[in-house]
Amino acid sequence: VSDVRLAAEQVRGPLPSETDVAIVGGGLAGTALAYYLACEGVDVVVLERSELNREASGTNAGSFHFQIAIHQLTARETAGSYARLLSDVRLLLRAAELWGTLETELDGELGLHATGGLMVAETPAELQILHDKHEIEAEAGLETHVLEGAELRRFAPYLAEDLLGATYCPAEGHANPFLAAPLFARRAVDGGAVVRTGVEVTAVEPGFLLTTTAGPLRARRVVDAAGAWADDVAALSGVTLPIRREGLHVNVTEPRQKVLEPLVQHIGRRLTLKQAANGTFIIGGGWPARREERPARYSTIWQSAAGNAAVAVRVMPGLADVRVVRMWTGVMAFTDDLQPVVGEVESLPGYFICIATTGFTLGPMIAKMLAANMARGEALPPEYAPDRKGTRWTATT
Amino acid sequence: MSDSHDLLVIGGGPAGLAAATEAAATGLEVALVDERPTLGGQIFKQPGPGFRVRDPRALGRDFLRGRQLIEAAEASGARLLLSTSAVAVRGGEVVLVADGERARTVTARRVVVAPGAHDRPVAFPGWTLPGVVTAGAAQSLVKTQRVVPGERIVFAGSGPLALAFPAQLHHFGANVVLALEAGRRPGVADLLRLAAAGTGNLSLLRDAAGYRLELARGRVPLRYARIVVRAEGDGKVEEIVHATVDAGWRVVPGTEERIDADTLCVGYGFLPSVELLRLAGCELGYDEDLGGAVVVVDEWMRTTVPGISAAGDGTGVAGSFVAIDEGRLAALGVAVDLEALAPEAARRRAAPMRARLRRKEAFRRALRPLHAVGGGVYDLAAPDTVICRCEEVTRSELDAAIDSSPDIDVIKSFTRVGMGLCQGKTCQRQIAGMVAHRHGLSPAAVALPTPRAPVRPVALAAIADDAVEDLGLFVRE
Repeated sequence: VSDVRLAAEQVRGPLPSETDVAIVGGGLAGTALAYYLACEGVDVVVLERSELNREASGTNAGSFHFQIAIHQLTARETAGSYARLLSDVRLLLRAAELWGTLETELDGELGLHATGGLMVAETPAELQILHDKHEIEAEAGLETHVLEGAELRRFAPYLAEDLLGATYCPAEGHANPFLAAPLFARRAVDGGAVVRTGVEVTAVEPGFLLTTTAGPLRARRVVDAAGAWADDVAALSGVTLPIRREGLHVNVTEPRQKVLEPLVQHIGRRLTLKQAANGTFIIGGGWPARREERPARYSTIWQSAAGNAAVAVRVMPGLADVRVVRMWTGVMAFTDDLQPVVGEVESLPGYFICIATTGFTLGPMIAKMLAANMARGEALPPEYAPDRKGTRWTATT
Repeated sequence: MSDSHDLLVIGGGPAGLAAATEAAATGLEVALVDERPTLGGQIFKQPGPGFRVRDPRALGRDFLRGRQLIEAAEASGARLLLSTSAVAVRGGEVVLVADGERARTVTARRVVVAPGAHDRPVAFPGWTLPGVVTAGAAQSLVKTQRVVPGERIVFAGSGPLALAFPAQLHHFGANVVLALEAGRRPGVADLLRLAAAGTGNLSLLRDAAGYRLELARGRVPLRYARIVVRAEGDGKVEEIVHATVDAGWRVVPGTEERIDADTLCVGYGFLPSVELLRLAGCELGYDEDLGGAVVVVDEWMRTTVPGISAAGDGTGVAGSFVAIDEGRLAALGVAVDLEALAPEAARRRAAPMRARLRRKEAFRRALRPLHAVGGGVYDLAAPDTVICRCEEVTRSELDAAIDSSPDIDVIKSFTRVGMGLCQGKTCQRQIAGMVAHRHGLSPAAVALPTPRAPVRPVALAAIADDAVEDLGLFVRE
C-alpha cells in the first residue's frame, strides 16, 4: 500500500488563497467528495484539523452490513418505518455496487471481501423478526436466506447449537477502513485537489471566507464533511445540525486459525463479530464508550467490554479462551432518524452538508451523489436534505 | 475477598513490597497484586516451583535483600494476591484478573502503581533469531531455573548492567566469550566524577569493581564503544558481527569484527512499564536516561491523577534501592492523605529516604555521560529487518508509513505495527525513534499511541459478564 499514500510533505504545504469548493473534514466522505469533484474538474481544497481518516472513517470495523439491523429496528419513528427500511436497504445496495467498482477505479487495494453475513436469533420472537425483515429485504432486492435448526448448524458449525436461526446475506463483507480514505485522498490529489492536514477552520464568513489556522481561504462553496463534529463546523456558519457523536466499543483478540468466514450480527442483542484475514476477531456492535475531550480518544468502559464479550461467547462458544489484546473505541456521527445528510442548506446557498450517519458503507456513495449535484446539478434524494422536515430532524439557521 | 481497599498496590517488586509494608504499618487496609506466582519482581525473582533454597547466603546479597522485603510484606498484614494482573484502571477502580478466573473490578481509596520496567529492545539484523535473548529474560532463566541460556555467550549492551550482567552470568558458570559496551571507556575525569558522587553510594562502586574483577578473572574481554550490528546463522545464532560506534552510537565503517557464538544477550537498559499509568491518564514527562516516557510525580510520588501514586522503575528506571525508598514515600503520602499518619510524622520518617534518593540521583547524573543511549541504535535495522515482531512489520514497510505522517496512530493504521499480542511494548520506542529521526523531532516530542486496555491479554470468557445489561447506545427516548 506504500505507493498510494500521500507523503507528509504533500499535505503540509501552504494553503491556496481561493478555491471553488472548500471541504471541511478529511474522513471518508470528505476525501471521496474531493476525488469525485476533482474528477468533474472542480477546483477543491480539503481541510483536516488533525490527520486524514483519524475519526469515524478510520476507527470502525470496515464492515458492510446490508441486512436490516437492531439499531434500525429500534430507532424511534412515528410512522412509515416499512417505507424507510425499504429505502435504507435500496441505498445500501447501491453503495455495495459502488464499493465493488472502487478498487479498479481508484487503482489500489481496499481489502474488499464479500464474505457473507449472518444475523442470528436466540428467541422465537427474534426468529419472527428475521422472517419479517427477510420479506422487506426480498422486496428491496437484497438476497437473504433464513436458516434454522440443522441447516444452520451445517452452514455455521461454529455458532452455538441452541441458536434458533439466522439470516444469511451473501453480499455482506468488509473493506479495510485504514485504506479507503487515504486512497481517495491520494487519487483526489492526483486529480488536482489540494489536501491539507493539521489545518483547523476557526471561522466562516458568508461569501465564503474561511479563517483557518493556516491562514484565510476564499471559497465559492463550502462542504461540511466533518462527520461526528459536523455540528461544530456548521455552527461556525450559524447552521444548527442535530448530529450526535457516540463512542463505540470494540474488542480485538489475538489471531487464531481462520474458522469464521462471514460477519455475524445478532438481531436482538448488541453484537457484530468477524474474523479478519490475519485471524484476529473483531467484536463490537453498539456498546458505548466514554466521551473524552479532544484530542483524547473516547475511552473504553469495562462494562461494555464485559457485555459485548458475553454476547460474543454466547453466540460463538469457541471464543471463550481467545484472548482480547486490545479494546478500542470508534466515534460515530449519528442522526436520530439514522438517515444520511446530503445536500445544500436551503437557507444558506453554497453551504453543503455531507454526512453518512452510522456509515462507513455509505461514505463513497453519498460523496459521489453530492459531487454529481454540485458539478452538474443532479438531483439529490429529498429525504436526505439538510432542511428535511421530520420528527427526528430539523436543521436551522 | 472484599472488593474495596484503603490502598491497592499494583506490583510486587521492591517498590510495591516496600509500599505495602510501609502502608500496612500505619494501620491502613492494604492489598497488593502481582501477576507472577511469586513476589520479588524482576530483580528479586524467586526460584521457580520445585526449587528449595538450602543456603540463602549462597545466592548472594541481592537474594537476601529480596527475601527480607518479601518476608516483611508477608508479615505486614497486607493481603498479597499473586498470579493476579491489573489489566485496566480508571481512578480508584481497577480491573483485576486472577489466573483462571473472571475479571473483577475492585475499588481502592488510593492506588500505588509499581509496574517495574522491561528490556529496551534494539532492532538489528538478526535480532529475532533464536539464540538472541534480552538481559531480563536471561536473568529470569538464571534466577528461576538456574540455567544459563547457551554455551558461547556474547553480551552486548550499555549502562551499569552491561558490566554487572556478564559478570553475574560468568559467576553462574556461563561461558561469556565477549562483553560489549556501546558507551565509551571511562576516563580519568569520569572516575573522579563518580568518586565525587560516590558518597553514600560506596556499595554501588564496590559492586562495579567486583564485576570488573569477576570479568578479569574469567578473562572475559570487555570492549567499550562496540555495538552488535547483526547476528547471523541458519535458523539460530551462529555468529555475531560487532563494530565500533561513535559518541552517538553510529557505526564507524570498516570496524566490523566477527565472533562465533550460540547466544547473544542484549541489554541496552530498561524502559518503564507505563501502560497502566498512561491508561489511568497520568501525565508523563520524558527522560531518556530513565527510559524515556516517565510519569510525573510530586514529593510523595502522587501522579497528576487524584488517588493514583507511582513508585519504582515504572516512574523511571533507577534500580531497586531507589525503588524501595520511592515505594515507602508513596505509602507515607497515602497514609497522610487518608489520615492514618500525621504529616509531621511522615516528614520525619521520609527524611532519611529523601537523603538516600538525593545521593542516588547525584550518582546517576555522574554516570549519565557514560551510558546515554545514542540515536544510532535506531539505524541498525536493515530494510528487511522485522521491527514489530507480533505483526511482522519490516523496517522498509515502516519507513514508507512514517513518510506519510509523524503520528504513531496513523503509522499503526497503515502497517498494523504495535497492534499484536504485545501491544507495542516491544517496538514502540524503536518506532518513536524512527519517527523522530525522519521528521526532525526530538524523541520527547513524538506522541505515543493511544493507551488502551487491557494491558495484558485476557480471555473473552474472563471478560464476559452476562449480568451487564444492554447499555443502550442507539435508543434514546
